[in-house]
Formats: sequence, structure tokens, C-alpha cells
Amino acid sequence: MGASIKFAVDTWGVGYDPAPDASQLEPATSDVDPTVELPVSQWRPIVPNPLYTLPQRVAFVDGIRRIDASILIDSDGDVRPGICASVAAGVVVTSGGTHAQVVDVRIERCVFGTSVVEAIDTRFGTYQPRICSDDDRESLYLGIHQAMVELELDCGDDQDAELIVFDGPLRGRHVAAGVGYIKAQHVRYLPEPTQQVVYGLGTGQRSPLFVVGSGGRNRWSWYVRLPGPITHGLSGIVRCELPGVGSIDDAIARSDVVSRTLVRFASEPHKDPRAPQNLYPIAGLERTLRHRLGDAALFQRQLLLAASERRSVP
Amino acid sequence: MSTVGRVIGTEDATPLEFWVALAPGQHVQLDDVLAVDRDLGDDGQITLYGIVIQMRARHEGARFDSDVFLISDGKLPAEVSECAMVQLTRAVPETFVPPIPGAPVRKAVGEERNRALDVDRVERQLPAGLSRDGEPMFIDLDFVDGTKGAHVNISGISGVATKTSYATFLLFSLFNSGVLGQEARGTKAIIFNVKGEDLLFLDQPNRALSQEARAGYGQLGLPATPFDSVGIVAPPRPGDPAATPATGSRSVGIKPFFWTLEQFCHQQLLPFLFADAEDERQQYTIVLGAVTAQLARLPTGREGSVHLDGRTIDNFSALVDAIAEKLQPEDPDSGPDPAWAGRAVGTGTINAFIRRLASSVRHVSHLIRSDIAGSPEHSLDFQDQVTVVDIHQLHDRAKRFVVGVVLRRTFDAKEATGSARPLQFIVLDELNKYAPRDSSSPIKEILLDVAERGRSLGVILIGAQQTASEVERRIVSNCAIRVVGRLDAAEAGRDNYGFLPPAQRQRATILKPGSMYVNQPRLPVPVLVEFPFPAWASRPAEAAPSAGWVDGDGAGAKSDGALFRGCDATPPHCGLACGQVDARPQPRR
Repeated sequence: MGASIKFAVDTWGVGYDPAPDASQLEPATSDVDPTVELPVSQWRPIVPNPLYTLPQRVAFVDGIRRIDASILIDSDGDVRPGICASVAAGVVVTSGGTHAQVVDVRIERCVFGTSVVEAIDTRFGTYQPRICSDDDRESLYLGIHQAMVELELDCGDDQDAELIVFDGPLRGRHVAAGVGYIKAQHVRYLPEPTQQVVYGLGTGQRSPLFVVGSGGRNRWSWYVRLPGPITHGLSGIVRCELPGVGSIDDAIARSDVVSRTLVRFASEPHKDPRAPQNLYPIAGLERTLRHRLGDAALFQRQLLLAASERRSVP
Repeated sequence: MSTVGRVIGTEDATPLEFWVALAPGQHVQLDDVLAVDRDLGDDGQITLYGIVIQMRARHEGARFDSDVFLISDGKLPAEVSECAMVQLTRAVPETFVPPIPGAPVRKAVGEERNRALDVDRVERQLPAGLSRDGEPMFIDLDFVDGTKGAHVNISGISGVATKTSYATFLLFSLFNSGVLGQEARGTKAIIFNVKGEDLLFLDQPNRALSQEARAGYGQLGLPATPFDSVGIVAPPRPGDPAATPATGSRSVGIKPFFWTLEQFCHQQLLPFLFADAEDERQQYTIVLGAVTAQLARLPTGREGSVHLDGRTIDNFSALVDAIAEKLQPEDPDSGPDPAWAGRAVGTGTINAFIRRLASSVRHVSHLIRSDIAGSPEHSLDFQDQVTVVDIHQLHDRAKRFVVGVVLRRTFDAKEATGSARPLQFIVLDELNKYAPRDSSSPIKEILLDVAERGRSLGVILIGAQQTASEVERRIVSNCAIRVVGRLDAAEAGRDNYGFLPPAQRQRATILKPGSMYVNQPRLPVPVLVEFPFPAWASRPAEAAPSAGWVDGDGAGAKSDGALFRGCDATPPHCGLACGQVDARPQPRR
């Protein structure tokens, strides 16, 4: 399998958990309608209705990525950059008071680059080629992120779960029980003065619903503040997304249930630097996934070995 | 056999020790016997067997102790991992390689369990108790009878360690399991009863024996009966001219024992009255040697008395007076008789000797006497298969004398026969008293002799003590079989118990009565055994009533024939609690 391309491992260039430019991941949209629940003039923090029964079986879907090696590929006298990375996605299911369990773990190893890339075989698996639009750093990172998101999309079809929390925006997923969970607020959706309401949310309170997107991809969305120390206006603030289907009343009820459920799983700062947004089940899932990716040094050595084997071929 | 788990690779697996992660839903417990195979390619396949000596369970994926609450609430995913540490007992064939991480591990049961514990290769199996899986565990007789090793040593704290019970159980097993074959008939044992009166009922069935215990005997192939042929001897009651045996709760079927003056003199027993007779720093031992030699030459009189200077001496006190007269004549002008005192011996030395000798009178005068008709018949004859020598009421000094003399005589007699068979067993508790690590005495010398040469002479020591660390190292190290009951925590930490792995040492501090670790040369790891409750009585209350016997509460006591004293109090208080004669040695009037 593809022993023709020659490459070298760039021992300088390994970075872990690359984060592509946030603006490319979550394109800001001008299609925001903040008036679906309350008129702008009446926007205020809302205490979720405590009368709804909270879901027992909740699933969390998340993915991680790791660069195993930066490589330099020989291509007709030219040298092109590429990245060998491992991505994983999985689901953790919590069910009442029983133990949370990681189910459905998927792992993929890919070599990212332009059309020059080919599969690389190692003892512990094959790095499948993935063609990116360009081979600059940003494009490669975006490629890795896409691979991870695709894996995440494959997971999360837990039929029994009453609530499925997807890490990140819904990205077109129209699972009835699904909710998108956006931990970090890189993009500003709301116009003033509604944004001020978000800053003023108390612990456990949510903002009124608003609609983002348009056409077939519009979602119900709202902000909620998770418990934790409030050091700035966005401390502990997460944004949630529901598929933009059904009535506003259903969406409001659902948002109350989701908001109250998320608070239950919020982490604490002494246990997680990304607290409270990095929910306990998700942190545990990420740890499990990272573990399941295997030892990074082992893979780097395998890639060095593969590179040297190819170079020795005349 | 189904897999219970797999060898883990996150801890080193070594040829002698490895960890096994248990598969979900599976469990093992301490002392379980496990097996794992390894393929050695062209060299075939080997199976490693081992015993679970430690276990642990933990959350994997948790980083903080408090994560346990998150995990229990179902908020944080984590794996529960349960692992067992296995210590190798045997590799078949004997190839010492570690098991490979990931290798499936199974419980060894039936034939495989016997192979694991090396039982299958033991030709002469001495039942030693039941292992935790309820199967019989055996000791290789070759390591008891002197073929490859000899002697048994038992350690454990008083009361719960049941050292004496286990020693008697082993004896019972020897005599009744058939392992000795035809030899069992001629094989004899001497048991010293040093504490309480629990060994005075070996010939009586135990009323308190449960069905479960009976089943235990059945599983071990032993009858649930008392000892067959038991002779019990006890010292005479001090001050009693009839020399009735001084025992508390049992008076019947017990013979008094003592030595005649002739035996005392001619068998040269005098040094056994001196605890430090072998100590070369002591000057008086010169005098002791000379006096002993002179006593050996005294002519014999009636009933085992001796003649000295025309006088008949029939009691120990008179003998001591006669010796003193020889060493310190009343006539101030004449010095000590050089034949008795030795040459160039100072007055201080002679005084030291006499002082020591005189102080022994009150403790042993009832044991050395010729003042009763038929005195010579009261010497120990060891006709029965098991002879219990009761010395628990004697003063320490008298205890040492009796033990020393009996051991010497037994050893010399065995040596004289020139044949190791049939075997002679000796059961002695409180070895730390008779063979202390830091001092020297005639008894210690004999015990050392037994430990070092007994194997070839057929004299087998079953010794016991609370603390092996206080017993002469050479005696303990010569014992092929080491047994440990419950240990004091400080004692368990000493290097004398190096054969116990750390986890077992820790466990030895909480062993329950009836559980012992048995370490034998065949297995690199001690095995926990449980031995059944004694089928013979160890207290009056346990002795089954039969014609002429009464039980412990004294109801319906008969005065005719044999009877147990109506008393259930713990010895040695029973004699007093029942308002009977104080049987303890009385000061000489």
C-alpha cells in the first residue's frame, strides 16, 4: 500500500491538540432572531422551570485529536508539509445513579496534506490519506478538525438516550434528543442590548431563546450560566442549540430541561482547568479517548520507522 | 476451565510473581490457586501455577479521591479494575519464565489444583489440614521423618494461635492417616504439657465436636476419634507421702513419675538442675562436674536409694546435705574433699555451687526420691504410643529438669538402638524457654543435638513457641516444616518469618484460631490450612461422659472409678476453684 511516496518526520513541528482559527469553525451569521421567546425590550434572565422531569439517560458525544507527527513529503523535487494525526470520538452514557459508561469509541489515524499524500502503514495501524484544500498550517488543522467532526457525527445515535449532548454546534445533526453544546464563546451572536442580558445571567439561569441560521439549518439557541466563580461576564456561560423544528413552546420547555440538566454535570475548577464548561462526563470521555489513542511516542517512533523504510527503497 | 482474568502488563510479571486483572463478573479470593499457560515455541508449553496472596480494586480514570462520588453519581466515567497478585507455587515443566501479559488465567481445580500445590508428586502424604478451597493439603512426609528433612516448628501468640492443637493434630495425622504404614505401631511420641491441662484428655472423645469438624476429618482421610494409646504422667503432689499425681481436673489414668536417687546419681542428672551448667564462664561448673562423677559411683540401696559413707540416702534433701558436707565439712579444720570439689577450687566457687544446689531442693525434691515402696517403677517408661508428660504445675527450674532429663534419655536411648526407625517424636511448647537464643544450658544443648542430629537418629522435634525470634536460630533453621499461626504484629515483622511474603505476614496478625500457614520445602510459598477442631477433648467439659466419668458441670458425679473433677474452670485455677487441695508445689518445711 502506497510505499511510493518518500517522507521525513519533522521532529521540530509536533504540536498537540491543534486548535484551528475559531472563526473558520463557527462562521458568524447575521441570521439571528432574538425575538422568538421575548421581544428584545423584555429580554431578561430566565430561571428554568423546575417542574419538568429531568432526563435519566443522558449521552454526551465528543471527539479529540492529536498530532502524531509533522512530516515533510518529497514530491517531484519539491518538499510539501503534511501532518499525521489521530482522531477519536466516542459517547459516554450516564443513566440515573449508575456508573457512567463510555460506549462507542471510534478512532481514525490519517495523514493530512494535499494530493501528494498516500497511506502510511505502521505496526499499529494505517494512516489513511486525507486531502486538504491546501497544505498551510491552518488548512491542515482544519482538515484534522473536519475528520474529528465526521467521526463525532458517526457516533451519537443512542436510541435510548432522552438527551444527547453533542460537543460543539449541531452541524446539521437532526436527532430529536440532540442538543449542541458550545463551551467557548468565540463568536458573538446577539446584538445589544440582548448581549447585556447574557452577561447578567445568574447561576443556572438562561437567556431567552433566539434563532440562529436560516433555511433548513436554523436552530433554537440560548445561553445558560453554569455554577462556578463569576470573574467576567462570560464566566461559565455556554451556548446551546436545538434543531430548529417544532413549536416555540416545545423549544422553551426543552431548553429549561436541558439547562437544568447541564448544571448537574458542571465541573469544578480544582478538578478541571476548563471548569465549569467542561462537563464531568465529557472530561472523562476525553481522558478515555486520549488513552485509547495509544502512546504518542510509540506512534511517532512507528512513523520514523516507516519514513526510514521508504527512504531505503531505491 | 473458564478464564477468570488476564495477566496485566502495567505491573512487571516475573517468573515468581505476577498480577492478574479479573474479567468483569469474575472474582477470586486470597489463597485461590490459579493457572496460566505459556507457549515457548519449540520448547513446548509450560503452565505456571500460583496462589493469590494479595488483591486490589481501584477506579481507573479517576484522578482525585473525591472522583469516587462523581463516579458513583454517574457523572464521571471510570472503569473498576480488580487485580490479584499471584505468587508462583510451581512451573510445569520447571522452566522459570514470566507469564506473558494478556495471557488468560484460570482457576486451578481438581487435578490441576493438586499439581499446582505439588500434591501429585508427594508419595507419602501427611494430611496437614484443609486449604481454603476445602481440599486436603498435605505435607511431604519425606520432610518430616528425616528422609529429606525433619522437624516441625510452630510459631504463634498464645491463645489464638492454637500451636499445641496443631502439633497434636499433626501427631494424630501421623499415627492415623496410614502414611507411616507398618511403622505407625512402633512410632512413639512424647508430649510435654507445659501450660494448662489441655493435653490431659487426648484419649477422650470430644463432646463438642461438630458434624462439620467430623466431615473435615473425613475429607482428610482421618477418623474423628481420640488418640488410641495414651499414657499420661504427672509429677507427684509435693508433700504427699503416697506420691499421687498432682493434676487439677483429671486424676484418673494418670501415673506419677519421679526419679530414684540411684537413677539421679548413676544417670548423671545433676547438671540438669543448673540452667547455666554449660556456661564456661561459670567457675562452679568444675565442682558440678566433680560432684556428678562422684555421685555416679555411689552404691545402690533399697528402692533405688544410694549409700554414701555408710548412710542410706532416700530423698533429695538428704543427698544435698551429704554433698554439702563433702564440700564444706562441719569440722572447720578440714577442707573440702578434693575428689568432690576438684582441685584448687576457691571457697567462693564452692559456695556458689552449694547455693544453687540448695535452692533447687524445694522445687525438685518431690521428683527425686526413693522413699516409696516400688519407687523404681515410677520412672518414665514410655510404653504407650503417646506419652503426655505433664509439667505445667512445676516450677520453671523443675520444668527444665524434667524436659532436659527426658530429652537426654530419649535421645541416648535412640542413639543406642542405632536405628532411626521407628521414629520418636517430641512435642515441646515454649521452646524460647528451653532453647533461648542468647544463653546456654544443658537443655539447649540437647535440643540443638536433636535439631541437628535427630534427623539421622529418628528423633523428630515438633517445637512451638510464641516468638521464633527468641529461639536459638540453629534449632528453627533445622526445621524443614515451619508453621505460623496468628502472630503479634511486631513479631511478624522480624526476619525469622522471611518465608512469609509481606501480604501473608500482614495476614498472620489476623489469622483466626485453627488457621495456620504451613511452609514446606516443596512449595515456594506458604499455604494457609485450616485444621479441624480436635476430636479429642482439651478440657474436662469437652470430655464425653462414659461409665464412671462425669462431665464438666459435675452433675451426677460418681465417686467410684475414674472421674474428672467437677470443674470447668480454666486451668490452672481449677484446682483452687473447686476447693480442692492446692496442688501447686509447696515450700519445703
